[in-house]
Amino acid sequence: MPMKKSWLRDYIIKRLFYAVIIAFGILTITFVLVRVGPSSPADKYLANVAARGQDVSQVVAAIEARHGLDKPIYEQYINYVGNLARGDWGWSFSTSMPVTELIKTHWIYSFQLIVLSSVFAALLGILIGIYSAVRQYSKTDYIATFLSFIGISIPNFWLGVMLILLFSVQLGLFKTYYDTSIPLFSLANLKQLILPVITLGTGMLAGYTRYTRSAMLDNLRKEFVRTARAKGLPERTVIGKHVFRNALLPLITIIMFDLGSIVFGGAYLTEIIFGIPGLGRISFNAIFADDYAVVVTVTLISAFLILMINLITDITYTYLDPRIRYD
Amino acid sequence: MGKLRILIFLLIGVTLITSSCRIAREAGGTYISGTSAGDAETLNWILAADSASFSYAGHALDSLATYDNEWRVQLRCAAKDVEVSEDGLVYTVTIRDDLKWSDGSKVTAEDYVYTLKDLMFSDWLNYTYQSDWQEEVDGETVFVTPEVVNEVTFTITRQTLDPEFIYTVRGLTPYPKHIAVKYEGDVKAFTQAPEFNNLTYTGNLGPYKFVEWIRNDKFVVERNPEYYLGKDTEAPYFEQYIIKIFGTPATCHGALEARDITYTGIDPDKVGKFKQIEWINVYTVPTTGYVLLAYNLRDNGWEGFKQKEVRQALSMAISKELMIEQVLYGFGEPAFSFIPKPSPWYVDKGLAKYGVKPLLDKEKAKELLLEASYATRKADGSIEVINKGGKPLKLTLVTNTGNEIRENVGYLVKQELSAIGIEVELKLVPWATELRKYLMNKVPGTDQEPRYNNGVGAVSEEPWDLMIMGFSTNPLSPSGSDVFYATKGGLNFWGYFNTQTDELFQRIKSKEALDEKARKELYAELSRLISEEQPVNFLAFQLANAGFQKNVKGIEPGINMGYNYHMWYFE
Repeated sequence: MPMKKSWLRDYIIKRLFYAVIIAFGILTITFVLVRVGPSSPADKYLANVAARGQDVSQVVAAIEARHGLDKPIYEQYINYVGNLARGDWGWSFSTSMPVTELIKTHWIYSFQLIVLSSVFAALLGILIGIYSAVRQYSKTDYIATFLSFIGISIPNFWLGVMLILLFSVQLGLFKTYYDTSIPLFSLANLKQLILPVITLGTGMLAGYTRYTRSAMLDNLRKEFVRTARAKGLPERTVIGKHVFRNALLPLITIIMFDLGSIVFGGAYLTEIIFGIPGLGRISFNAIFADDYAVVVTVTLISAFLILMINLITDITYTYLDPRIRYD
Repeated sequence: MGKLRILIFLLIGVTLITSSCRIAREAGGTYISGTSAGDAETLNWILAADSASFSYAGHALDSLATYDNEWRVQLRCAAKDVEVSEDGLVYTVTIRDDLKWSDGSKVTAEDYVYTLKDLMFSDWLNYTYQSDWQEEVDGETVFVTPEVVNEVTFTITRQTLDPEFIYTVRGLTPYPKHIAVKYEGDVKAFTQAPEFNNLTYTGNLGPYKFVEWIRNDKFVVERNPEYYLGKDTEAPYFEQYIIKIFGTPATCHGALEARDITYTGIDPDKVGKFKQIEWINVYTVPTTGYVLLAYNLRDNGWEGFKQKEVRQALSMAISKELMIEQVLYGFGEPAFSFIPKPSPWYVDKGLAKYGVKPLLDKEKAKELLLEASYATRKADGSIEVINKGGKPLKLTLVTNTGNEIRENVGYLVKQELSAIGIEVELKLVPWATELRKYLMNKVPGTDQEPRYNNGVGAVSEEPWDLMIMGFSTNPLSPSGSDVFYATKGGLNFWGYFNTQTDELFQRIKSKEALDEKARKELYAELSRLISEEQPVNFLAFQLANAGFQKNVKGIEPGINMGYNYHMWYFE
């Protein structure tokens, strides 16, 4: 056991070191991409400026000068990295607040949505998948399969709007939008998250149902299951301890992968539909406003989270299957 | 007994009289205004360039004056209307003497002058709209001169005449000098100043006080019991006022229908549905926004557009009423110049009304093209439109993606022009591409910095012939549209150069236009000329639809519908 701990510790340190280097690379690439693009933070004001009969060039120059965007890009980059090293993540000029403050205010809205949707999808998807596999070709299996395909096919922006129209507008069961004045740790907040969680989680749930079913069926046919049954083990132990544990490995990969992809962008549409002021919405608006301080920070956080999720996945493998080693 | 009765009657009488003088109501309820147009960028209004930021800050800060739906001046922080000297050069402003900052100190003329001189005109702050306060003197751009006269009076002096400068003056709002001086000269500190970013200084200057702003979610203000206009009326009458940001118009509309919000703008295609909902009132009001079809008059556009008759022919082939009916669902008014009908300077008489009958005539359009040698008459007598090389005429129409109305106008123009034998290729490009590749221009082979109007000989990077765009006009000072239609206009993308037009724009800004009657005649002449010239095809002024819960009272529908919003109340 100390042996395992030692190589695992080395492995984690190495991966963290790589993560820092990769994150720095992503920071640089994102910064350059945002800044060398043809657009200017002043672009979106053109219509308003024109309506007021203003000289566009003067307005563009004024806005760029105020945000230090009139300096050469290498100078902007050096300033940015220098400030970052001092813990200053910059000032978001599209929201008029420090980037750290912005992230601190908004991360929780994305986090609660992502966590609840993932838990909802994983728990329900795995349970339905196991049931479907154990009762293969039963009516329940067919219904689950049919519904899973529908769940996978429905775009979540459409589902969200339909849920609002039905449950909020027609039946009046929920508010039409997410209300930030409701305390986060309250039943009322849980209630108002029901529709967003269903919207974001349905596609994942359907996917997990199919993956679980397939992984379970794959293992149910293996020799060790026959042996376990021959030994007279109760069916619950065979399914729960032997079959499911082996099916879990590919499932973990998929769940972690999904988690990564919704952190990156999947939650954004749900946030838009339900008016949840999460990081997805903030970063999307920042991209269109050329607010590079926010874009770079959110990309960096997302990238770092993905790297951490991958690391956790790798570590989880070693516990689920002790044969796996990374030394 | 008799005396007592008289006394009681007197008391009742006095009470009735005094209560009828005060139209006070009990304040209550939360008014939620839903929008999907996006959030503001800052409450530090001097740094703002977007209209949402000015609108947010405006809940806590009144300007000197505003206007009702008939453009009558409504005094706000100004004690009396801005006085203009006989020579039109000196503007004297007297502010109310009961205006206070949050710390109790008086708002003075010094605050206004400081805001102008040391903030708006400063080099370090880069105020976006500096040019509103500048004038050309002997070829040099200089600022106007503000000066304090006494505690409540200040003057602004110009060296050149601009009869429409008064509208700029009336829109002025102040910063508190005693707070702003702390940040003077340091743009970073000023940008991040907590007082300005949280509107903690606004005192009794606006009907509401700032509560919170959750970015991309909501902006919340609460009733300001100290509001100077509420002394007699106890206005405003909403306890809270919230601007709620929605991600899509569909969810915003859903929220209005579900009574989760009080107000939102209704898209034209949804108006019919909302008019059927018994708890919602929909008001249709004019706007200052218009849709136009631009003709590229520069050298990389179709050469035919250089002839006025050809432009008139094309404008004659596109039905404005059809466009309004099919694309705007009836919520539009045909446009014939850049001046909207509700403007005090709109004159209908003499306008060349291309695009409506009798100047909507496809056959006549073809004949005009024939006269201009862009068509041939076939043996059967019919007219075939061709280009100079004898081939069928094909034009490229560009518009930006993400604007459904412009895209649909594009399809309609394509259909209308194809009816006279002109093939139109529709190109949808992102906004940033449209700006840089199609609108910015420079003289080829030179080191010129691309700008939106680099004068004669300048062309855009990508060629185009037609473009659907949307602009708006300030109805009080339409001469600001010289940026589009004057030779030196900074946004004269399409290269329309006409000395007569330039001269009229100049005369509107000259002494002769100080007389409002004369100014109206000049505007009439300019409208007539521009409707005849057709530098662009003015298609339609859009109408807006505002949906309110029926229990909101006090609304006066019109072009400036919100001017009295502090008097609105819930029934």
